[in-house]
Amino acid sequence: MADAPRWRALGPVAIRMLQAVPILLVVAIVTFMLLHLLPGDPAAVIAGDQAPPEAIDRIRRQLGLDRPLPEQLLQWLWNLARGDFGRSLILNQPVLSAVAERLPVTLSLAVLSLLITLPIGIVFGILSAYYRNTWIDTVVMLLALVGVSLPSFWIAILSVLLFSVTLGWLPTGGYVPLAAGFAPWLRALVQPAVVLALFQLGYLARMTRSAMLEVLNREFVRTARAKGLGEWAAVTRHAFRNALIPVVTVTGIILSLLIGGSIIVEQVFSLPGIGRLVVQGILLRDYPLVQGTMLLLGFAFVFLNLLVDVVFALVDPRLRRG
Amino acid sequence: MVRQIAHACIGAALALVVSGAGAQPRHGGTIVYANTAGPSTLDPFLSGNTIEIEVVNQIYEGMLVLDEHYHPKPMLARAVEANADATAFTFTLRHGVKFQNGKEFTAADAIASLQRYGKVSPNTVLLANVASYETPDPYTVVVHLKQTNAVFKDMLVTPIYPVLMLPAEQADKPAREVDFIGTGPFRFGEWVRDSHLTINRNSDYVADETQSGTDGYAGRKIVDVDAVRYNFVPEANARVAAMRAGEADIAGIVPPELAKTLAGQDNFVAQTVFPGCMSVIFLQSANPPTDNPLIREAIAAVTNADDIIDAAGLVAKKQSSILYADSPYYDSKSSSSYYSQNNIAHAKELLAQAGYKGEKIVVLTNGTYPAMRDSLLVLSEAMKAAGMNVDFQVVDFITNGNAMQRGLKTWNVSTSWFCSQPLLGPQQWRPIIYNYTQVTGNAVLDAAFQNFTTKVRVEDRKAAWGEAERELLGKAYVVKISDFGWMYGYNRRIKGLQPWYSLRFWNVTAQ
Repeated sequence: MADAPRWRALGPVAIRMLQAVPILLVVAIVTFMLLHLLPGDPAAVIAGDQAPPEAIDRIRRQLGLDRPLPEQLLQWLWNLARGDFGRSLILNQPVLSAVAERLPVTLSLAVLSLLITLPIGIVFGILSAYYRNTWIDTVVMLLALVGVSLPSFWIAILSVLLFSVTLGWLPTGGYVPLAAGFAPWLRALVQPAVVLALFQLGYLARMTRSAMLEVLNREFVRTARAKGLGEWAAVTRHAFRNALIPVVTVTGIILSLLIGGSIIVEQVFSLPGIGRLVVQGILLRDYPLVQGTMLLLGFAFVFLNLLVDVVFALVDPRLRRG
Repeated sequence: MVRQIAHACIGAALALVVSGAGAQPRHGGTIVYANTAGPSTLDPFLSGNTIEIEVVNQIYEGMLVLDEHYHPKPMLARAVEANADATAFTFTLRHGVKFQNGKEFTAADAIASLQRYGKVSPNTVLLANVASYETPDPYTVVVHLKQTNAVFKDMLVTPIYPVLMLPAEQADKPAREVDFIGTGPFRFGEWVRDSHLTINRNSDYVADETQSGTDGYAGRKIVDVDAVRYNFVPEANARVAAMRAGEADIAGIVPPELAKTLAGQDNFVAQTVFPGCMSVIFLQSANPPTDNPLIREAIAAVTNADDIIDAAGLVAKKQSSILYADSPYYDSKSSSSYYSQNNIAHAKELLAQAGYKGEKIVVLTNGTYPAMRDSLLVLSEAMKAAGMNVDFQVVDFITNGNAMQRGLKTWNVSTSWFCSQPLLGPQQWRPIIYNYTQVTGNAVLDAAFQNFTTKVRVEDRKAAWGEAERELLGKAYVVKISDFGWMYGYNRRIKGLQPWYSLRFWNVTAQ
């Protein structure tokens, strides 16, 4: 059966995009309900903990928080349909604008962390699988275990004390926009990206190892060797390519988690990212901000999953045959 | 070559002449301050947390402000006089004071600011007693009150939701939508939420030449630095690390255990602001069983301030009153007999008298501030030792605060920290006490607060407050625990920084 042209993989893409609509609707409604189940009043947060009840009630009325919940939900959904994600109660700015301000930070951190995670995690996984049950396998898996086990908060603080305070090599925190220069931008993000990568790296190495172990002794790999292909060529061009599906899946999951933001790393390194935005919004009961941001994150997750499926189709010709 | 040297000398000489013979040279530079969090607003009328209060008091000023000892002092006003029965207050304004947009501050701006305050601030009750405003001339404001208020000047210098002056053009701006234009020694620079905020030196600032030095939010404010940059660094370790790495000059709110790491370091100083706040426990009087005064008194009887202070781990000292000792209304005799009784046996007697039959007593606290949680944990154990049935609940601070603010009947015992109320005293405490404890129909307390507000003589107000405090503590609506402070660290290159309620960056140099 001939391979279908690659562009035909785009057919299901459109279907998946349409399927995303009900998913996002469920995300919107569930987020709204969960937020409103939380005790605490955003009007009281805005007024301050020393404000009298009359002031709080006035703010509630001004913000429409005194209306029945179904009415508030319908109003929000109607606004969403018109592209209005609402206005943050605490920040007093549009939700889209608040997210847009923080997106470069989160994307920078996520991409840099992924660029560290992918090559190291995959190489470690391949090495560990190829040299399974040797000291190389043991060391690599031990390092991976340490990476997933050590609390990122602790690693982050230690890293700051060593690389920033003692050695003075890297800043203690803060974000430098890319527009201010590539070197300062990179210098500000290296530490948080590495700390974030440690956990992902261990996870990716373990998954890559498992996937490689499944394919290394398959017939087509033995055939490649028998045909005179070099050992590493057989491993990388044949075995690894067939182990890519679960690796791509894990990569998609890792990227989704990174886009969602790592609150701990953002907190320690004072990075104004989306993770911190969402957590602060929850703590301060900023309903529109959390609802809007969760919906945008849901859209991002759907998009990333779609991207993973497209990559599957590009990598595995069996998925393109139509 | 000779010509160049000559030009340089002439230029230097001119610079000396222009700057004023004998004037101190400016050092300039930027102070970087690693603070815990950023403000949510710079609208002064809605500024309620410490960072908001600190920043707005660099940008804006009031007619009256707090002096170093937390008394009202004229700032934009030259003088303030009250009539005999404290129903009219005349503010005589300074001439030539400029807003940062170049406009002169006049009575019209003062009245517009007060009117806006009455519309948008959560503290509108402050001006609820105002009957009318009058401006006999552009530099005089007369505030007429409906009823006597002997502490109106004290109320005007409230640290929370401060009454600071805006240009009249801002009068109709909704809450949190003002332009950041004040008369203060710093002007607004840049604000990147969750990242940093910068205030720049106001080179056109008109200092009050009749005052001298740093004096609370008053005084003669001379700005030496070019700018102050507040970096928002939520993690305490990261703040101290930033200072030690040379990325910040000041690290705010340093926990005592981290302050120890600065000991012995030549470049840094750890300074304590004391007192900074008070730790106070509230007992809800609208929710059984603490609607019974004997039950509340039993809870007060088991309180051991030493144990609670140890558990909380703050830089704290025992002090029985809910005023600080330098308040003109302070009298330890009103409070000392009710403080830290640590008497389980007496508590048991009170419970027996009350007919207590093991009804659940909800102790509500939060995990957001471990010191608050640990304080009430210690109290709960003491309550149990006296035979009380305690339901210890931990929520987050917002839920905890909301339950107290609303006087919800979901709690009997809770706590919070108060940094502003103790500074000015009784009139600041009143709304908190009545809302949180839900006290109603207490004729003694009502009369005492009424007398405090309406008695013109300080001695009479002091006596009235004594009545109120004895009632509050005696009937255990309120249980005082401690005064506590906070620490901050700074680089020794910063000169002139004085420990106080807020940091002030005038009369400070960065060498």
